[in-house]
Amino acid sequence: MANTIISFEAVDKRYGDTIALNDINFELEQGKFYTLLGPSGCGKTTILRILAGFTSATSGEIKFKGQKINNLPANKRKVNTVFQDYALFPHLNVFDNVAFGLSLRKVPKAEIRRRVLEALRLVQLTGYDDREIAELSGGQQQRVAIARAIVNEPEVLLLDEPLSALDAKLRTAMQVELRQLQRRLGITFLFVTHDQGEALAMSDEIFVMNNGKILQQGNPVDIYDEPINHFVADFIGESNIVKGKMVKDYLVSFVGKQFECADAGMRPNEPVEIVLRPEDLVLTDVTKGKLTVTVDTQVFRGNIYEIMSHDSANNQWLIHAVHKATIGQKVGISFGPEDVHVMRFGESEEEFDARLETYEGEEE
Amino acid sequence: MKKRFSWQNLYLIFVFALLYVPIFYLIFYSFNRGGTMTHFTGFTWQHYTELFSDSRMIEIVVDTLLIALLSSLLATIIGTLGALQIYSVKRPVVKNAILSLNNILMVSPDVIIGASFLIFFTFLGFKLGFGSVLLSHIAFSIPIVVLMVLPKLNEMNLSLIDAATDLGATNFQVFSRVILPYIAPGVFAGYFMAFTYSLDDFAVTFFVTGNGFETLSVEIYARARQGISLEINALSALMFVFSLLLVVGYYFLNQYNSSKRTRKRQRLEATQIK
Repeated sequence: MANTIISFEAVDKRYGDTIALNDINFELEQGKFYTLLGPSGCGKTTILRILAGFTSATSGEIKFKGQKINNLPANKRKVNTVFQDYALFPHLNVFDNVAFGLSLRKVPKAEIRRRVLEALRLVQLTGYDDREIAELSGGQQQRVAIARAIVNEPEVLLLDEPLSALDAKLRTAMQVELRQLQRRLGITFLFVTHDQGEALAMSDEIFVMNNGKILQQGNPVDIYDEPINHFVADFIGESNIVKGKMVKDYLVSFVGKQFECADAGMRPNEPVEIVLRPEDLVLTDVTKGKLTVTVDTQVFRGNIYEIMSHDSANNQWLIHAVHKATIGQKVGISFGPEDVHVMRFGESEEEFDARLETYEGEEE
Repeated sequence: MKKRFSWQNLYLIFVFALLYVPIFYLIFYSFNRGGTMTHFTGFTWQHYTELFSDSRMIEIVVDTLLIALLSSLLATIIGTLGALQIYSVKRPVVKNAILSLNNILMVSPDVIIGASFLIFFTFLGFKLGFGSVLLSHIAFSIPIVVLMVLPKLNEMNLSLIDAATDLGATNFQVFSRVILPYIAPGVFAGYFMAFTYSLDDFAVTFFVTGNGFETLSVEIYARARQGISLEINALSALMFVFSLLLVVGYYFLNQYNSSKRTRKRQRLEATQIK
């Protein structure tokens, strides 16, 4: 990749005996929006802190434009961070907070003024320059933190769960704004979050992490549609996961029946896990359905009905339906072959990609 | 609502009366023409004029203030750096040990500290006088400053330091631009505390003054032993007024600092409305 800006090569991080990061490898390209997604304690913030220079990797190389930066101190790196708690300086007003980085570098006063006002305009805080930090709402403080970071014109902006302290509505609005801001600035964003909805909505590319490892990397659609294992499937969106068996290519058996599917390249009769997304399941008559389930509970969510049901083998099925069902009633569920996603046990991302190529190549 | 009789208020008045009556008694008799503290025979400024013509006393007052200003200034610098050092200690055991060592100096009796300083200075062959008093005042003021600054450091958000570094600040710039402004109220409080401690210290000073150098508290003690002189009353009255002004000044300084920004904001908004 010609425009790779940051790369991690075999990065490990240990605190005593605990392993925070285990063999992290990835590359970030210029001008894209990346998200590190994972539950708390999975190591995503550690990656950010290593990249910003607040902590160092135990082993491995961190490269910025091909240059190793492991030992470069944080104040010399061309990255800026937006902190989870904003970390605005309480003794300075909005203007001085944003101007902090520039004034350290002895930029002329007039230029500081021009750039700070421009940064405030970008985050839609024009006219707030002489406000005190304590006078601002959470969302406004958030924007000041972003302005303070982007005013330095970093090549990479690191965002550490910056939206987690905002209420739901403001958070959605800020997601859109952040995405627009990233497009306008054209710089690389590395965004850390545990909120899968946020990750799917904003990212060009998502890294799903757990226990100090990157499990899967890909664009939001791929990650959602082709989760590589149980953890990813469960973490990204809601899913029905059942055990099954790969009878042969394009034929899988689960809950005692055989179904067509879109996956291939596995051993005959290999034990697998099946993922069915609740929104891919369509309610229909018992006679037309591929599966028959009994409706247990139903919750109205505004845009959909969230229906919990069970089949005769007591597998739970979550269905997102447009029309409502009757509790206690037997209904049929139908789905297409492409809705059945098969996951092998212990398959790595490379193996998954390689297998995908073998049979997708045949079709073309 | 209003006529509710409150035992609490009565108690409060009683306690304050108990605390302040002796001082006002002293001040009252500083204006007595009689020359004793038993019969008030008439008003006079005589004791005050005597005081101001007493060049030895003036010299002592100047020395005392000089000691207080210098010792509290140096103690504030050393104490603040010490607090930063304690703050940066990672291991809790070590940190608590250092803090305890600091606190022991606060609670141990002045007499013992004074005596130990005396032994120390004579052992070293250090000449007793201005220098020894200054050094011992600095020494007993440092723990006070540490105790005032440390809570401020502890309440500071650590990510502020990360943020400053992230924006390109060197270690020194992090200290001068972020940490120091943040802990400034604690540093000021420490300075004022150290100043008042130095100003009214008797026990430690008494041990280390030596011949020819006196501070106010030691001098007042010496004169009070010789018998009643209303000049002491006049001096006490002036010192009381002085400390009153200090407290009031400190209060207004605080008020000014905290409201400066909001007032500026309000002014701005007022002009915008026009």
